Amino acid sequence: MAAEQFVVLAGAEEQALTKLADYREAGGFAALETARAMEPAAVVQEILDSGLRGRGGAFFPTGRKASFLAKGTGKPTYLVVNADEPEPGTFKDREIMFRVPFRLIEGCLITAHAIESDRVFIYIRGEYLHEFEVLRDALAEVHKAKLLGGVTIVLHRGAGAYICGEETALLESLEGKRGQPRTKPPFPAVAGLYASPSLINNVETIATVPKIVELGGKEYAKTGVPPDSSGTRVFSLSGNVVNGGNYELPMGVTLRELIYEPELGGGIPNGRQLKAVIPGGSSVPVLTADQLDTPLEANAMAEAGSMLGSGAIIVIDDRCCMVQLGLRVAQFYMHESCGKCTPCREGTRWMVQILNSIEEGTASQGDLDLLLDVCDRILGKCLCPLGDAAAMPVASYIDKFRSEFQEHLDSGCPMGGSSSLEGILAPVDQHSHAPVAEVPA
Amino acid sequence: MSTVESVKVTIDGREVEVDKGLGLVEAAAAAGVEIPVFCYEPRLGPPVGACRMCLVEVEGVPKLQAGCTLTVQDGMIVRTAAASAKAAEGQNATLEFILVNHPLDCPVCDKGGECPLQDLTFRYGPGQTRMTFPKRTFDKPIPISPTIALDRERCILCYRCTRFSSDVAEDGQLVAKNRGAQSMIATFEDEAYKAPFSGNVIELCPVGALTSTQYRFEGRPWEIQNVPTVCGLCPVGCNVSATTREGKVKRIISRNHPELDEGWLCDKGRFAYPHVYADDRIVDPLAREHRRGFTVLSWDDALDRAEELLRAGRGRIVTALSGSETVEQAYALGKLLRQGLGAHSAVLPEAVSHGLDAFRAPLATIGAAELVVVVGEEKVADRAPIVDLWIRQARRNGAEVVQLAEPKLGKKLEERVSASERAVLIWSGRGGGGGARLAELGHRLGLDAKPACAAFHLPSTPNARGVADAWAACADADEENPEPIGLLIVSGDEAAADPAVRALAEQAESVIAITMFQGLAVGWADLVLPGTSYLERDGSFVNLEGRVQRLRRAVIPPVPDELAWIAKLAERFDVELSPHAAIVFAELSERCFGGIPFGAVGERAPLPERTAYVAPEPASSAPIPPTGPEPDEHFLGTLRLQRYRPLFSGPAVERVPELQFQRPAAEIELAYDDAQRRQIATGDEVSVRSNGTALALSARVNRALAAGTARIADEHAGELHRDVEVIKP
Repeated sequence: MAAEQFVVLAGAEEQALTKLADYREAGGFAALETARAMEPAAVVQEILDSGLRGRGGAFFPTGRKASFLAKGTGKPTYLVVNADEPEPGTFKDREIMFRVPFRLIEGCLITAHAIESDRVFIYIRGEYLHEFEVLRDALAEVHKAKLLGGVTIVLHRGAGAYICGEETALLESLEGKRGQPRTKPPFPAVAGLYASPSLINNVETIATVPKIVELGGKEYAKTGVPPDSSGTRVFSLSGNVVNGGNYELPMGVTLRELIYEPELGGGIPNGRQLKAVIPGGSSVPVLTADQLDTPLEANAMAEAGSMLGSGAIIVIDDRCCMVQLGLRVAQFYMHESCGKCTPCREGTRWMVQILNSIEEGTASQGDLDLLLDVCDRILGKCLCPLGDAAAMPVASYIDKFRSEFQEHLDSGCPMGGSSSLEGILAPVDQHSHAPVAEVPA
Repeated sequence: MSTVESVKVTIDGREVEVDKGLGLVEAAAAAGVEIPVFCYEPRLGPPVGACRMCLVEVEGVPKLQAGCTLTVQDGMIVRTAAASAKAAEGQNATLEFILVNHPLDCPVCDKGGECPLQDLTFRYGPGQTRMTFPKRTFDKPIPISPTIALDRERCILCYRCTRFSSDVAEDGQLVAKNRGAQSMIATFEDEAYKAPFSGNVIELCPVGALTSTQYRFEGRPWEIQNVPTVCGLCPVGCNVSATTREGKVKRIISRNHPELDEGWLCDKGRFAYPHVYADDRIVDPLAREHRRGFTVLSWDDALDRAEELLRAGRGRIVTALSGSETVEQAYALGKLLRQGLGAHSAVLPEAVSHGLDAFRAPLATIGAAELVVVVGEEKVADRAPIVDLWIRQARRNGAEVVQLAEPKLGKKLEERVSASERAVLIWSGRGGGGGARLAELGHRLGLDAKPACAAFHLPSTPNARGVADAWAACADADEENPEPIGLLIVSGDEAAADPAVRALAEQAESVIAITMFQGLAVGWADLVLPGTSYLERDGSFVNLEGRVQRLRRAVIPPVPDELAWIAKLAERFDVELSPHAAIVFAELSERCFGGIPFGAVGERAPLPERTAYVAPEPASSAPIPPTGPEPDEHFLGTLRLQRYRPLFSGPAVERVPELQFQRPAAEIELAYDDAQRRQIATGDEVSVRSNGTALALSARVNRALAAGTARIADEHAGELHRDVEVIKP
């Protein structure tokens, strides 16, 4: 029996903690005091001990990333918080920001202390206007309460680009340039923001830090599935499921538990059958109904041929046409490709063209292999992971639902074009480019 | 010099030892292995890894790596497409993706035949396309300026052009807009790409996306010849190739001299060549007939007439030189006039002082400097454009660049210059004895003792130093100033266009002008002899560094070469003179260039060694900027006028339609304070007055200008004197 366990969202189970006094009552900012009494290196050690890994999707050990930061460069060290959360299906960071904004700020201040930085940037997705306002107000309160301790925290709103969730493109955007990823090396830990050593972490990662300091790294590492998947994650459950929403669970809970437990997902609505699950945001390979017992932890997911990614679980029922789903995913990544490197820029467009012809019934037998070959020619050859993010899921749809693709070639779409993607992925034209609200004249 | 640690890498099974930190592309080249690239171009700054053409397999790394972004590590084992099926597949994939939306219009593309995309597709790409869907289309060609056309369908988005614009020339005008498959190169609001170095993007483009409007559809690579020569339009002397087809110059491209121009050209050097085919080009000698204008003379008659004028003017001859003659031409003229006629008097262009020979260094020294002090009122890009790029490079590398209107560094700065191992002084303006004062300053600060320090004077003409040396080498006698002038000889277009020379002509009894263009000679010369362009001459130029460089005749001029008829004329005065540049060079080399043979001035000329510092002569002979009476400080006061010669000016530029958009507007630049006091804003029409002259000009507020001064381009300054009143009507 899986149950929610609140670490990141602790204290906000009933209502959002948007007032400093409420957050303090829930024990907030005690960890900051503890941390500031410690040597910076000791705080980094706690994070190392905790086994915390990046919650943005890449799952890189947070403590190790912090320990890579170049020292003695004569340049300032920056902490950058990635609050862009662009991956379709993911909505955990926004919930963290509007329910426990102070925990994020506390995490920023502890981490800044740990890496001896006094400059923090929070790069927040442009569409997150409400979350921005909540954070802004929280920041004002923290400032008023003189908790910043000489640290400057800047909230920077993005302008509507998926690619700016990639850490180096985010840095470019933050510097006022065209949002395109940089080639690595140099890694941001050596030359990041303004060519200075920079640590970039996801909102959830940073919001976990206060708890680690509070408990001690070794104690925190006991939850979840240590050593590689310790701790909790906030899973964003969406798609064809009764109770969509964010659930904070210790890692290791199975997909079946998350989707079917009445306290959690509550099963598939309207008596439909589960057809497939996307376990980590739209960019990861799909899992089928017979893989539902896979635990939500890194190693088991890798064994199953997929990834935990950003923790976005999209449930797909039997009404869905996998070709249409592939087309929707490919269209999204074509739309969001930054245009910098060749395979992604040209390949995603080509993928969309081929998928379109398959869905329309104008494709020939060779086109299916061509599509797989195009995916293969994108995979692992791009400057940043965006190209892979398009190729991986589409290739997995063909791999796991080849007969459905074949049917399209033989006799057209078996769903007769009436398949619904409602609740699964939003149409591409709803991905706004204009985060700035229009003011009526 | 500290020795760089070396490392061993194995590329396709070949082990090479190279310097640590070397790029993998260069290391592979050292091993004789090609790593193909499109976006990689070290002159544009750090690699970007955008095109993915250079994918290689590195042992121990699971994914293919972009070779251009890697530096060598000891023990690294790399396999390129030649040795690794995986890398070959990766490169093939990249080319397939590049070609998926490429129009494949090679038969009508200017780049065809000299196109890296064609070459690499041939070597690494698929022979057939699997693309069966409609290709992406754009409107094309888009004129991004009157000189450059953009074909967005051919563009492979390597971002070389935008990186040049933002990171080398720093004009920031060329950008990428939109995203993903719809990304395109553009200028802001589709305005013209108006910048002094814009043409370099044509050469940087690895496909036919950016093409020259002048060269478009003018030739195919297998029909052309490239003649290695040097540009003759400014004192830098960039190394260029003149592309010719059927005896005509069709384009100018760079011939990268890494010490000098690093492969960049300014737009004047690149696009001004059509002046050779100007409508008013003089192709026959012309004589002024009383009340009848000009009549065409045969060359025999012209030489008779010239002899007549020379004999009549004997002893009272003044020669005005342009500084754009070759060393050989100036020597030939000097020998004829000085040895044959004893006419030693000359108006020489502002020359580079020999005092600077003690600070001689390649221009690349500027790029590596840590402290650059630029003295003078004129923009570096107006006088020696490439120097501006070197200064920008220095600044990007972390150097401090100090701009001073006057050569007063102050104690602190002087101390920093003399303490620095990499300091460079640059004089960009009139006066200063052609760098003599700069040499004195440099010597006092000890720069001549330090090899990575240098001092440069930016003269206003391309070969002033060579012309002055050649003229001096002809005779030892001192010049005397004849009064009145019997005959004025005006050599070259710049001298003919110079108002000071025109003023001399008014005092002269007769005038011989050697010029290319009718517009410059009509109305005041008694005899006009047709001149030639630097693209039509054999000979040598001495650039501002003191480097002797070779001009090669790219095309046969429509008129006899100057040397040919000067030699004939010399015969009549019993002066022995060869009509061949090589022989004239051999004669003067001993006296001017330490005896180096013509053959030693190779395709990439070396820079002579520094010489010991000798205090230059007192700057008496140097042109001194005119000093008028102090302006009287009445209401609002007068402003001191700086006339300047913009980069895009002069007889050649005026004759090229595509360059007209680059010429300066008829405007006066005002300092912010001065403009405020007069309630003048940018764009306002103002009246500029001095000594009874009034001009209507448009105002531009320039915050970098010192209060009390105003700038107007020479060509718009008319008869204005030094002190002007600026009034908003």
